[in-house]
Amino acid sequence: MAAQASPAQASTSGTTGLRPAVVIGGNRIPFARSNGKYSTASNQEMLTAALDGLVARFGLQGQRMGAVAAGAVLKHSKDFNLVRESVLGTALSPTTPAYDVQMACATGMEAIGSLANKIRLGQIESGIGGGVDTTSDAPIAVSEGLRAVLLELSRARTLQQRLGALSKFRPKDLTPNAPGTGEPRTGMSMGDHQAVTTAAWGITRQAQDELALASHRNLAAAYDRHFFDDLITPFRGVSKDTNLRADSTLEKLGTLKPAFGRNLGEKATMTAGNSTPLTDGASAVLLGSEDYAREHDLPMLANFVDFEAGAVDFVNGEEGLLMAPAYAVPRLLARNGLTLQDFDFYEIHEAFAGTVLSTLAAWEDPDFCRDKLGLENALGSIDRGRLNVNGSSLAAGHPFAATGGRIVATLAKMLHEKGSGRGLVSVCAAGGQGVVAILEAR
Amino acid sequence: MSRRDVRLDAVPALPRLYAEALANQVRTKLTGSSGALVLPEVEHSVDGVRADVPRLEAYQQLVGDTVRPTLPSVFVHGTVFPVAMSVLAARDFPLPLLGMVHLSNQVEHLRPIGVDEALDVRAWADKLRDHHAGTAVDVVCEASVGGEVVWVGTSTYLAKGIWAGQRPERRRDRPEFVAPVQTGAWRLGAGAGREYAAVLGDYNPIHLGALPAKALGMKRQIAHGMFLAGKALAQTAPREGGYHWDIVFEAPVLLPATVSFGVATTDRLRSFEGWNATSGRRHFHGAVRPL
Repeated sequence: MAAQASPAQASTSGTTGLRPAVVIGGNRIPFARSNGKYSTASNQEMLTAALDGLVARFGLQGQRMGAVAAGAVLKHSKDFNLVRESVLGTALSPTTPAYDVQMACATGMEAIGSLANKIRLGQIESGIGGGVDTTSDAPIAVSEGLRAVLLELSRARTLQQRLGALSKFRPKDLTPNAPGTGEPRTGMSMGDHQAVTTAAWGITRQAQDELALASHRNLAAAYDRHFFDDLITPFRGVSKDTNLRADSTLEKLGTLKPAFGRNLGEKATMTAGNSTPLTDGASAVLLGSEDYAREHDLPMLANFVDFEAGAVDFVNGEEGLLMAPAYAVPRLLARNGLTLQDFDFYEIHEAFAGTVLSTLAAWEDPDFCRDKLGLENALGSIDRGRLNVNGSSLAAGHPFAATGGRIVATLAKMLHEKGSGRGLVSVCAAGGQGVVAILEAR
Repeated sequence: MSRRDVRLDAVPALPRLYAEALANQVRTKLTGSSGALVLPEVEHSVDGVRADVPRLEAYQQLVGDTVRPTLPSVFVHGTVFPVAMSVLAARDFPLPLLGMVHLSNQVEHLRPIGVDEALDVRAWADKLRDHHAGTAVDVVCEASVGGEVVWVGTSTYLAKGIWAGQRPERRRDRPEFVAPVQTGAWRLGAGAGREYAAVLGDYNPIHLGALPAKALGMKRQIAHGMFLAGKALAQTAPREGGYHWDIVFEAPVLLPATVSFGVATTDRLRSFEGWNATSGRRHFHGAVRPL
């Protein structure tokens, strides 16, 4: 063992000696494009619907779960206890503790992963992890100027102080602040950041469109063979993800104009077709110990083996915004004694087709793996026939915090159907972060 | 050094200095008594300058810096620079202050400076020299705490169309600008100059609005160079310890604007550039190096 710590070197604590955390099942509502079918649905309503479906499917009525952990990326301040409030609206026992998690698009993965850890440590027997997001029913805040005036007004004790506060009001302060997808420290949108990374790795438009097309075809085929029948509960008259375009073609995708990285000129390759749209939706995953599953006669689809978070310095241009999983995966592999090729399924979240393809290109690149990951050899390529085989975010859509739950439930079911093998999950997130995980079939 | 010390009671207010400079320029125009281009052997100084905490927080929020009780380098500049302006606005300064072009800055930020430290400031003009477009001059500001120099900033200005001696040949054209990898985008509103002025007090008319800017020969109002430097340093300056930084200004940022920004790090040197993606012109470039 080299003594020098490298970026890819894992902690040596290991993960053995703990009991398994088992994925029992999942439930989500169909994802809907922003300002469409769910435009008036709140985060609490959608998360409650996803939990209700899970409770009904697994007979959890009246049960006191160990914990429910979920979150939303775009959250109203009134939703400070979003998950607890949602739980109180379900048939779960009101004595079930719940808490909110927030880690941008990795919210769902962090919620599920830390619940799995608690189960493995024996602290809880069961848990529900997931997430929800709406960009339609988004929180809109008053401007900083108006907020400052209102706060000063609330502190004012005398008429003079009140008038003083009011005198600071300016008409332009009436313009409200709506949330955006821009990175606070760089001012660039996530898409524009990824466009720089996509161009740096030389990912072609053709390759991105092909990945997008495969996502739609794979998701459509999964619906056709009723794969999602026990993973989705209809909501507001929707029974299938509304972004799915089963009849999409490379020709149609090829006609779209670049939507991101337009400053790159001819190198701009990212369109609305090979990028995820803004989406509304919610998901939930039921986890438990083996004892819990047996006691309640519940299925055991897969073990949630281990997970790892990563982060990169995108602010100073050291790395692309969405490349953190490229660094987290080798650490996770090393800790678990695995290679990148030891998996039967790869679930790489399609924030943008360019994100998936840049990550794969990085793992195939010996210079990147040596200079950035500190590895002797490249991690190598994967069998592309094992990548996102039941579709991913380009087709299903991506309600930020709900994506982790969609992926874990889908992968656990795929592994259980196959009856053996492992799956690798990789989810990138705003702020230059990401969470990756390993699941194992049961 | 034999500079005469002109001791000021307090850091002067910039609007008053601008007004005095304007009066001097008008007087010079009327009397035609511009005199020789010789720098006065003076330094202006103020002791015990303290930063204003609400102003510091307003600055940190404006440029996107971390809000904490140490002074960002550009905030130090904004706090002490009126002492230098006092040198430039005085009647014995040979170049017209208003309309001078800000070319570059070089700063030694020798150690973190706490918000409650009292700064002894002195400033002088140095190195008057011919430039192909006019006469350039360095304005040096030095801040000390109890005799220890903590911050030294050199700002280089250009008075266009004025030469002491022979007009030098134009340098060969600089190589065509090739945009680096973009790491940021700054959306600056039409009022960005007014917002910066409200925090650091630099109400130079060229930054305030289209009409005053046009009166001084600009197409529209332009962003303060030090506002751009402050935004760049908010991202690139080390979070602890001292550092050296510099910035060179090229095409002005006409407001409103979107400035494309790029940072690259090699070894300990962190370099940055800002440019206009539409015109392909570079606004500024600079670098930060920890000491």
